Amino acid sequence: QHQEGSAELTNPIEAEMDKISFIFNNLSLMNLTAKTDDIKEVLKIDENLMHAKWLAQYLVMKRASIEPNFHALYSQFLVVLKSERLYDEVIKETYKNIGILLRADKSMANFSDRSLLKNLGHWLGLMLLARNKPILMVDLDMKHLIIEAYHGGQQEKQQELLYVVPFVAKVLESAAKSKVFKPPCPWTTGLMNILAELHAEPDLKLNLKFEIEVLCKTLNLEISELRPGNALKDYQRLGKLLDIKGFGMNTSQQLPSLQKPMMEEMKGFKQDN
Amino acid sequence: EINLMDELTLKGITQYYAFVQERQKVHCLNTLFSKLQINQSIIFCNSTQRVELLAKKITELGYSCYYIHAKMAQAHRNRVFHDFRAGLCRNLVCSDLFTRGIDIQAVNVVINFDFPKMAETYLHRIGRSGRFGHLGVAINLITYDDRFALHRIEQELGTEIRPIPRDIDKSLYVAEFHQEEENEES
Repeated sequence: QHQEGSAELTNPIEAEMDKISFIFNNLSLMNLTAKTDDIKEVLKIDENLMHAKWLAQYLVMKRASIEPNFHALYSQFLVVLKSERLYDEVIKETYKNIGILLRADKSMANFSDRSLLKNLGHWLGLMLLARNKPILMVDLDMKHLIIEAYHGGQQEKQQELLYVVPFVAKVLESAAKSKVFKPPCPWTTGLMNILAELHAEPDLKLNLKFEIEVLCKTLNLEISELRPGNALKDYQRLGKLLDIKGFGMNTSQQLPSLQKPMMEEMKGFKQDN
Repeated sequence: EINLMDELTLKGITQYYAFVQERQKVHCLNTLFSKLQINQSIIFCNSTQRVELLAKKITELGYSCYYIHAKMAQAHRNRVFHDFRAGLCRNLVCSDLFTRGIDIQAVNVVINFDFPKMAETYLHRIGRSGRFGHLGVAINLITYDDRFALHRIEQELGTEIRPIPRDIDKSLYVAEFHQEEENEES
């Protein structure tokens, strides 16, 4: 499912791919400039859009998503490469893969999906927030993601939160490095308040509480100083959210029992009209 | 980092051999580096001279590599190992100086550029310590003279070292494709 959309790409020939493998297997901060030139020479990404797309896909799927230890290096690689086209493709590819993972079935304990998500979250934060670029709601709405996960996943309680909270925390980590997004940036603070609200839930899994606490520490925030609202339990808003976006869920089945009466009402309302 | 487990395990490590002539070894290494997806690698040689020679040779060929061997001062060795662990460089050429297996999670490929003589040495090079036995692939370059040692070590360790296939399944050594069995929850 991860390979989606690759059919339309005209891949480089095998010899070129081998060279790219070799270069990435040997990429380090010390030889970054030389290796970057080598890549430019092999793929000619400025002239060849397909190669740029392929490289973006390779970088995101084969490297960033599984080698979090080299995120800083790969980020620096893009800086040195100075190709706006490649950067744009990388962002697109990152969102695409995050989307695929978030839409995948989250009812089971799939550790590999979870760690891929975490890695891509960290990568996204580094690509955007750390560079003072926003994460637009149309691309990724993390607030809704948390609310949706909080109410979703019936079989195993909090199953979806196990995917979403570590992911969001990894994204937000990079806000610490950003002039624009470090607290008290209202966008960041808004998300932190929701996380604080979640943190206050008495039955939240301990490892998710830790994730939130570690994030607070990274951002230099005291969790007690945050102002949790009631976004998680704002059922009116939730109803709207589920109604409009659907989130790919069958809402009446997946909502917690607490929610049922309200959903029944909504159904009635729709039928009347 | 402190590892109290005495047991080294080959669990999770897929082991292959490639039958080569001595003079083909560097070429073979190049091929591996063009086909595998390496996060970090460790390349073992049987002597300190060969470590230095190989490191020099492959650095010229554009590898990102450090080397470390038993004749270097301890402080120097620590420095190199620390920097390698920090990811300042991707590959490490070394002789036998780890006595407890390699505990660097990022290392997903280990190459025996020279095949060891003793099963114990092999286990120290390839085996991982610790609870999980991280995923990885080990590739042994085997010359004609190594053929008996290969067989013997395989027997002594009760393990299987298979001939290298054309394409190596990435799920065997690229960590995140791995479904962890351990339940990490609560």
